[in-house]
Amino acid sequence: MTEMEKYRIFDNELEKLTERVRKMSHLVEEQVSNAILALNSCDMELAQHVIENDNKVDKLDVKIDKLCQKIFALQQPVATDLRYIISSLKINNDLERIGDHAVNIAKRIDGVCDYTYLSKELGIDVVANKTVMMYKDVDQLIKTHNMVLADDIFKNAVEIKENCHQISEKIIEEMMKQKEIIVVATNIMIIVNLLERIAGYSTNIAESITFVVEGIIIKHQKKTENQ
Amino acid sequence: MKTIKIQTENMYLHYGSKMALNNISISIPENKVTALIGPSGCGKSTFLRSLNRMNDLIDSVKIEGNVFIDGINIYDKNIDVVNLRKKVGMVFQKSNPFAKSIFENVAYGPRINGINNKNELTEIVETSLQNAAIWDEVKDRLYDSALGLSGGQQQRLCIARTLAVNPEIILMDEPASALDPISTSKIEELIHELKDKYTIVIVTHNMQQAARVSDYTAFFYIGELIEFDKTKKIYTNPDKKQTEDYITGRFG
Repeated sequence: MTEMEKYRIFDNELEKLTERVRKMSHLVEEQVSNAILALNSCDMELAQHVIENDNKVDKLDVKIDKLCQKIFALQQPVATDLRYIISSLKINNDLERIGDHAVNIAKRIDGVCDYTYLSKELGIDVVANKTVMMYKDVDQLIKTHNMVLADDIFKNAVEIKENCHQISEKIIEEMMKQKEIIVVATNIMIIVNLLERIAGYSTNIAESITFVVEGIIIKHQKKTENQ
Repeated sequence: MKTIKIQTENMYLHYGSKMALNNISISIPENKVTALIGPSGCGKSTFLRSLNRMNDLIDSVKIEGNVFIDGINIYDKNIDVVNLRKKVGMVFQKSNPFAKSIFENVAYGPRINGINNKNELTEIVETSLQNAAIWDEVKDRLYDSALGLSGGQQQRLCIARTLAVNPEIILMDEPASALDPISTSKIEELIHELKDKYTIVIVTHNMQQAARVSDYTAFFYIGELIEFDKTKKIYTNPDKKQTEDYITGRFG
């Protein structure tokens, strides 16, 4: 800060918001990592832990929403502050959805564990681990605003989505060949869709951070000026 | 394409030896509201007053550079300052109605411009009061003293008085800073309506008011124009750090 700059009461609120969004991101990272670990190891106890932990994510989601509402109402933020709070609200929403998807994966594990060979053959563990790694970048991006991570997330999310599409096609082929696996294959298909959605929400978060840092809206398009 | 109504080029203004405006070049578009913001002493009111040569009234003021309105340099020797001020009206922070009736306050300007026909004056007064969004509140007491009006009504009366001489530009120097929120809101709505017909330049210390009422915002700091852009841009993603720090309250 230069000597002309001053510390504002408002900064306390922003620090509180930053701390809560980071906490939310960390919680969601645990949820995603544990859900995938439970999926890969058929650990039903861990899956149950993920399901039960969702209320922590939900509570924090509401707390962040309320804090953003309070800041909008009382501080009338502008410029970087405005972009930061709008983005925090959106990121919070995306994190909550990712948390829900981790829970949804955990709920499906029971339905796929009798056919672990099928999951292995389809490469579910590979794309699931990629999703965990990508989410670790999301968590770091939220903490550091290091835009190199945003680029990595965009690339990895595209790759995960492509992998998911390929796996979905393979699942359909397998279902046509072996009618008895239809139930389990449907569960696997749902898990694959959830992984794809997590990649989508991760992209949204990277776009929101880009909006905070660079002031440009890049969703639905290549980087363009925010007009 | 937007038409430029007011343009300054390399404009400097000194109060004696003290520089108050430093090399100001700006193009203010027609039929838009332009807000001038900045901390006290930054030169925004000085700049506003230079647009209708109100600073001529201060002996120590020296101006260099050009100030064009509709392409004509208003500091040229052959400019009639009275005509200039008819074209460029002004509304001040403190409402200052004459100690006369509401009707006479509005009729005063047209009357000194030679309009004496009662019907014509009545029409001008009614239209001006309507355009200043105060007609309904005063139509039944036009011949009562203007000093009996509330602060917000007096300010709108002063705007009506400005409109009565048919200006093209209205300069407003903190027109709502002494008013309560309801009166402020009426003035802000009025500004919004007036921009269809007039070019408005407003000085305000209320940053949110600048954001609400203006199309363009100019940020002044220590006599310099730091940034001038669409209000939407200034308030969401300004180019200059000084602007960002000022509007977010990080200095000033």
